[in-house]
Amino acid sequence: MEAQALQFFIACVTAAGFGIAVAAFGCGIAQGLGLKAAVEGIARNPESSGKVTVTLLIGLAMIESLCIYALVIALILIYAHPQAAAITKLFSK
Amino acid sequence: MTENTETSLIQQRVLTFVTRANWLVFAVVSIGGFMLASLDMLWGILFGGLIVTVNFHLLSRTLKKSLTPSNLTSHNVILAKYYIRFILSGFIIFILISGHYVHPLGLFIGLSVVVASIMLATLRELKNLFFKEAM
Repeated sequence: MEAQALQFFIACVTAAGFGIAVAAFGCGIAQGLGLKAAVEGIARNPESSGKVTVTLLIGLAMIESLCIYALVIALILIYAHPQAAAITKLFSK
Repeated sequence: MTENTETSLIQQRVLTFVTRANWLVFAVVSIGGFMLASLDMLWGILFGGLIVTVNFHLLSRTLKKSLTPSNLTSHNVILAKYYIRFILSGFIIFILISGHYVHPLGLFIGLSVVVASIMLATLRELKNLFFKEAM
């Protein structure tokens, strides 16, 4: 029974690892694309830098928050799983 | 007024609104947590809200310094600042969750402060757009 509990926690850690990997991959690509477009826009028309920066700032903040959410969920799965105690108790019977 | 100037005004208005709404939403959520939730939840809201709000302000300063052509900062300085901000945020969140200092749900609510204020700014602009079209 303890082996099942161990398996559950191994699954949690694996899910956390894959979750943060997928989130970082997606957010990295999204931030890169946004930044590329902004820099190209400013290079073509330097006077528009103020406008581009505002839009970029809001976009980057939204994308970054998604990655922070993924990090929080991953850390919760590893360190503070809400049902961890109940599941350990269930499997150790 | 030309279309270009109008777009610039709208964007500046959105940024000002988001910057102020960040603190306002943070204050409202913190007071709500103080009155309705447990101490762990309140700490989660406070820490989460502070992390994202300070992050947003620092990101804003870095972007302004790095993308305004007249006074560009060195790439190395920008990269160093980005990584310091990133490592600090990650480390604080890690300590808070692994040490069970805060309730995860409270932290989640706190971390949503910036997203909530951006959503509010979008709703406000949509309202302006529809009212403008209706008139």
